[in-house]
Amino acid sequence: MTDMTTLPGQERYVAPLDETPLQDVDNVDESAPASSLWTDAWRTLRRNPLFIVSGLLIMFIVIVALFPTLFTKQDPNYCVLENSLGKPSPGHPFGFDFQGCDVYTRVVYGTRTSLSVGLAATILVVLIGTLIGALAGFFGGWLDSLLSRVTDIFLALPILLGAIVVLQMFKTNGSIWKIVLVMALFGWTSTARIARGAVLETKNLEFNTASTALGSSPSRNLFRHILPNSLAPIIVIGTTSLATYIVLEATLSFLGVGLPTTTVSWGGDISEAQTNLMTNPMVLFYPSAALAITVLSFIMMGDAMKDALDPKSRTA
Amino acid sequence: MENNESKLVAMQKERGPLLEVKNLAIDFTTDDKRAVHAVRDASFSVYPGQWVAIVGESGSGKSTSAMSVLGLLPGTGHVVGGSIKLNGQELVGLKQKDFDKLRGSAMGLVPQDPMSNLNPVWRIGTQVKEALKANNMDVAHEKRSALATALAGDEVKLNDSDDETFIGSTELPALLEAAKAAIAEAGLTGETAERSMAYFTEEWVPGSETRWRVADDLIKAGVNADKAWAIAKSHVTGSTMDDRIAGLLSEAGLPDAATRARQFPHEFSGGMRQRALIAIGLACRPDLLIADEPTSALDVTVQKKILDHLHMLTDSLGTAVLFITHDLGLAAERAQHIVVMYKGQVVESGPSLEVLQHPQHPYTKRLVAAAPSLASHRIISAKERGQDANALLEHRVVGEDKLEHSDAIIEVSHLTREFKLPRKKEMFKAVDDVSFSVKRGSTLAIVGESGSGKSTVANMVLKLLDPTDGTVTYEGQNISEFKGKRLLDFRRHVQPVFQNPYGSLDPMYSIFRSIEEPLRIHGIGDKKSRVARVSELLDMVELPKSVMQRYPNELSGGQRQRIAIARAMALDPDVIVCDEAVSALDVLVQDQVLRLLNDLQAEKNLSYLFITHDLAVVRQIADEVVVMQHGKLVEHATTDEVFDHPKMQYTRDLLDAIPGGKLQLGLD
Amino acid sequence: MGKYLLRRVLQVIPVVLGTTLLVYALVFALPGDPVKAMFGDKPVNQAVAAQIRAEYHLDKPFIVQYFIFLKNALTLDFGQTFAGQPVIDEIARAFPVTIRLALMAFVFEAIFGVIFGVISGLKKGKWYDTVILLVSLLLISVPTFVTGFLCQYLFGIKWSILPVTAGSNPGFIDLLMPAMVLGSVSMAYIIRLTRAEISSNIAEDYVRTARAKGMSNGQVMLRHVLRNSLIPVVTYLGQDIAALMGGAMISETIFNIHGVGWLTYQSILKGEGNLVVSIVTLLMLIFVVCNLIVDLLYAALDPRIRYA
Repeated sequence: MTDMTTLPGQERYVAPLDETPLQDVDNVDESAPASSLWTDAWRTLRRNPLFIVSGLLIMFIVIVALFPTLFTKQDPNYCVLENSLGKPSPGHPFGFDFQGCDVYTRVVYGTRTSLSVGLAATILVVLIGTLIGALAGFFGGWLDSLLSRVTDIFLALPILLGAIVVLQMFKTNGSIWKIVLVMALFGWTSTARIARGAVLETKNLEFNTASTALGSSPSRNLFRHILPNSLAPIIVIGTTSLATYIVLEATLSFLGVGLPTTTVSWGGDISEAQTNLMTNPMVLFYPSAALAITVLSFIMMGDAMKDALDPKSRTA
Repeated sequence: MENNESKLVAMQKERGPLLEVKNLAIDFTTDDKRAVHAVRDASFSVYPGQWVAIVGESGSGKSTSAMSVLGLLPGTGHVVGGSIKLNGQELVGLKQKDFDKLRGSAMGLVPQDPMSNLNPVWRIGTQVKEALKANNMDVAHEKRSALATALAGDEVKLNDSDDETFIGSTELPALLEAAKAAIAEAGLTGETAERSMAYFTEEWVPGSETRWRVADDLIKAGVNADKAWAIAKSHVTGSTMDDRIAGLLSEAGLPDAATRARQFPHEFSGGMRQRALIAIGLACRPDLLIADEPTSALDVTVQKKILDHLHMLTDSLGTAVLFITHDLGLAAERAQHIVVMYKGQVVESGPSLEVLQHPQHPYTKRLVAAAPSLASHRIISAKERGQDANALLEHRVVGEDKLEHSDAIIEVSHLTREFKLPRKKEMFKAVDDVSFSVKRGSTLAIVGESGSGKSTVANMVLKLLDPTDGTVTYEGQNISEFKGKRLLDFRRHVQPVFQNPYGSLDPMYSIFRSIEEPLRIHGIGDKKSRVARVSELLDMVELPKSVMQRYPNELSGGQRQRIAIARAMALDPDVIVCDEAVSALDVLVQDQVLRLLNDLQAEKNLSYLFITHDLAVVRQIADEVVVMQHGKLVEHATTDEVFDHPKMQYTRDLLDAIPGGKLQLGLD
Repeated sequence: MGKYLLRRVLQVIPVVLGTTLLVYALVFALPGDPVKAMFGDKPVNQAVAAQIRAEYHLDKPFIVQYFIFLKNALTLDFGQTFAGQPVIDEIARAFPVTIRLALMAFVFEAIFGVIFGVISGLKKGKWYDTVILLVSLLLISVPTFVTGFLCQYLFGIKWSILPVTAGSNPGFIDLLMPAMVLGSVSMAYIIRLTRAEISSNIAEDYVRTARAKGMSNGQVMLRHVLRNSLIPVVTYLGQDIAALMGGAMISETIFNIHGVGWLTYQSILKGEGNLVVSIVTLLMLIFVVCNLIVDLLYAALDPRIRYA
C-alpha cells in the first residue's frame, strides 16, 4: 500500500483547513428574510413584466368602471340622430355611432357593464365550482362518481349554445343577473374539475396524515389544510375565467340574446356597428379594442399568476 | 493475482490518467444574475480500468463535477475555470457537437434515478438501440478496450478482430448442435458432456459472447483446439441489432432479455430499469463510465446485486468508473481511490482505505464518524476484539433482561391487512399475521425493503388505517375501539414523524403554527403559554427561536424533520412512530437527528417504533428488531442478536448488503 | 384493448342520456306556444291546434315527450320543422358545410399551432419566441367576432383579397377566412400548450440520458422532446374537432355561412325546438365520439396507460 500502487496525481491530499472551513451541521441561515409561499409568489410577481403591465391596465380599467364620470361628462344614452355616424370632433374623440351617440362615452360606460358581469359570474363560478370540486375530491366514492358524471354532462354541452338556449327562454327579464346566472350555470364545470384535482392532490400529502395523527378532524383538515393549499390553481383559473366571461357576455350581447339593448355594453355596440362596417369601421373598432384590451389584461394577469403560484407550469 | 495487479498498475502508469480534472470551477447563475459557485478548484484523476469515487453530501458539488465531464451541466451551470482532459483531449470549451462524438463511445452515464431516466414512450430495446445507432456501433463485433484485450491476452491469443465476432441468435441452434457433436467426438459422454452442454447453453448468449470465448469454452471442455476454432469460425459469424440489444441487456443482468427488450419502462421494476440503464451506459464500450449514485433509489439487497454486477462487468471490459455516492462505506468498498467533496471543494483524497482509516480533514473525520454503515462495522470489529462495544453507541441499549421485565406499551398481535388490487379478484395481503410489542422506554425497529408492509404496520399502530384482522393495543386497550374523546386522548399519546421532510409540514403554515397546531387541536393553554411552549420545543430540537416566523420552504430537510419532531413532542407523548424518519437525510444530518431522538428518549422515557429500510441505522437506535419481508415477520430479536447471530437467510442478506462489510477498519 | 373500449363506450351512455335530457328540458321550457307560433298572425283554430298538439305529442307530459324523442332519434327521425320540412333534411343540408369549415379550421390550427409552438418552445427567449407568444396572447384575448370583423374589413373590404361573405353553398376560397378565424383561438392555445410541453420535457432526466448516449441534438429533440410533447397536443386537437363544430356559430353568423351554427342560431331565435334539440344532440354525439377517439389515441401514444 505504498508508492507501488499509488498512481501519479492520486497521492494523498488534504485540503488546508483555512481554505475549507468547516461549518456546523445543518445550521439555520438567520440572515435571510422570512418568506411564506405568498410572499414568495409576490416576489416572483413583482419581477414579472407581464404582471406589471396587466396590473396597471387592470387598475386603470377598474377606475374607469368605478368612476366613469372622471373620464366623460356626457350621458351615454344622450343620442342625437343628426350626429349619426359623425366624424370625431373636439369633445367627441371617437366620433358618433349610427344612433348619433358619442362613441367615446359609450366605451367608457361599457367598461362598468363588462367588468361587473365578468366579476359576478367569476365569483359565482368559483364558489360553485370549488364547492362541488372540493366535495367530490375530498369525499370520493359515490359522491365523486355522481358529481363527475354531472360535470361530464355539462361539459358535453357547449357553453355558448347552452347560454343562448336559456337566455332565449327568459328573454323577458332584463337585468344583468340573468346573464350572470346563465354563465355560472354552464361555467362551473372547469373550476370544479380543477378544484377536484387540487383537493385530490393535496389530500394525499403527508401533512394531512400528520394532522390526522395529531387529532385533527377530517373537516378541520379540509378547511385548515386542504383548501388553503388548493387555492393557487383556483385563483389562476378564476383570473382567466374573468376574461372568458367578459368575452362571453360580449358575444351573447352581440348575438342579441345577452344584455338588454337599453344597457350600455361593448358587445351590443359592436353588434350595432357591424351594419356600417363597410363605411364606418372605426365605430366598430373602438368598443372592440376596449374589449380586447380588457380581456388581454386579465389573460396576462392569469399567466403571471400561474408563473408565480404554480412554478411547475411556467410559461415563460 | 498479485502479479496481475502490479501489471495493471504498471500499465496504468505507462498510459497516464484517462480523465484528468484540474482546478475545476463551476458557477450557476441565479434568476437575478448572481453567480453561485457550485465547484471551486477541484482536482482529481481517473486511470484506465480504475474505480474512483467522489463522496459528499447533497450540495457538495459531486454530481455537478461529474456532469461537467459529460458536458451536461443542468440549467444555468457552466465551467468557469480549470481543465478537464479525457485521454489528453481538453473538454472545457468543447462545442456540444464535439461532445456528441465523445458521449456514449468514450464516456457513458449511469444516472441516479431509474424511474425518470428512461423515456416512458419508447421500448427498452429501442432506447438501447439509440445508443448503438448514435455512435454507429458495429453490432456484429465486440469493441473491447485495449486494456481488457491486453488482460485477456494472457489466456487467449487473439489473432484478428474477427475473433471478437458475436454469436447470432439464428446460428445458435446449429452452434450448439456442432458443439454437441464435437464433445461426443472428443470422447466425452454422460454427465461431463451434459454439464458442458448445460454450461454452453447458459453462457453462449447471442449478441454478448464472442467467437474466441466459444472456442475457449470448447477447448476447456476438452475439444481439440483446431476443431474448436473451426466450429467457432463457421458458426459464429456476427449478430443482428436485436441480438446485440438482448446481449447487452443480458450482460447487465436482465433475465429473459430478448423478451424484456420489447417491453416498456413502466413494465419494469426499479432494479430492472437500472440494469437497462447500465446496458445503455456500457452499450458503446466507453473507456469511462460515470455512475451518479446509480443505486441510491433501490432496495439495499438489489443495490448490492447491481453494484456487484456492474463491478464485474466493468472489470471484464476494462472500463474506468467515476462513482458518485454519498455513502463513504460504499465508496471505500468499491473504489481504489476516494475524493471527498464538501461545499464545492475537494477536502481530502487518496487511496480508499487510507482515507477511511486515517481521515485527516475534520470534515472527513466527521463523515467517517457519522456513517451508519461504518458505525455498525466498527461495533462488530470492536466486539471481535473483545472490547466494550457499548462505548461506541450513542444509544444506551436497554439490557435484554430489562427488556423482558418492562411492560409493553404497544402490543401488536396477529395483525393482518388486505388491500383490494384494481381489476384483480384476490386480495393482496400487505401485512400478514404480524405480532410484536414495544416495551416502555425502548426502541423497536421494523426493518424491511419496499413492499414489506412495514409502513402499513406503522399506519395501523397510529390508527390511520384499520386492520383487516388482529389487534393493536395501547396500554392494554384495543385501539380499534377508540372513538371521540378516547381517540383524541390516544392521538395525544402516540405521535408520528413521517419520512418526507418536504411533505409532512403544511407549506402554508409558519413554523410556529405548525408546532402550535397540536396544542390548538387539544385546546391546551392560551396564546401566551403556547408561544412559550413552542419556543421551549424549538430549544429541545436545537433550533433558534427565530425560525418561528419562518416557513417550511426556507428550511433544510433535516431542519424540517426536527420541526416535525418538535411538533410530535408538543403534547408530551409516550410513543413516537418514526416512519423512515431519517431516510431522506444526508449522513451528518441523519446522525444529528438520530442523536436528538436518542437524547429525547433518555430524557423523557419515550418509546419508539422505528420503521426503516436501513439496517445500519437500526444499530444506532434500536433495542429490538423486527425484520419483515412480503408482509410477513421474518425475524424478531434484540438488536445484538440480529447483528451477531442472524437466524434467517433474508436477515443475513440484509446484513451483507450494508456497504463496507469487506473493509478492514481501524478504530480511529 | 377490446375490454377497455367497451368500458369507455359504456361510460359514455349516461353522459349522452344526461346531456340530451338537459338540452330537451332547456329547449322545451322555451317560452311561447310553438303551436301558436305555427299559425303566425292568423287566428288560431282550436281544433287544428289540438290535432297538431297530439301529432307532435305536445299534449303529453314532458318526460314522455323526451322518451318519444329519444326513440325516434334512434331511427334518425327527428320530426319536422314548423314549415313542414323534415328536420333531418335541414340538418343534412347544413352539416356538410360545417364539417368542411371545421376541418379546414382544424388543419389550419394543427399545422400552424404545432409549428409555431415548436419553434417557440425550442428557441425560448429569442425575439421570435416573444413575437409568437404575444401574437398568441392577442388571439386568445380578442373575441372571435371581433377577429372576424377585423378580417372581414381588412381582407374582404379594404384589400379585397378574399370574399366578404360565403353564402349558401361555399367553396374552399369562400371558407378560407372563416376557417382561419374559427381556428385562430385554438391555434393560439396549441402554440402555448406545445411550447409549455416542450420546455418542461427538455428538462426531463431521460433527455439528459439520451444526450449521454451520444445522440445528436436533432435526434434528441425529435425522438425524446417532440415525441413526448405531442401527446397532450394531440389530445387537445382531438377534443377540439367537436368544439370547432359547436363553436362555428359566430363565424357562420358573421360570414353568413349556412351551416350548423347558423341553423342553430336561427332555430333558437325562431323557437324551433325540434331542430335545436336535434342539432345539439348530434353535436354532443360528435363530441362524445371525438373524446372516445382521443382516449384511444392517447392509449396508442402513451404506452403507460395502455389497457388501463
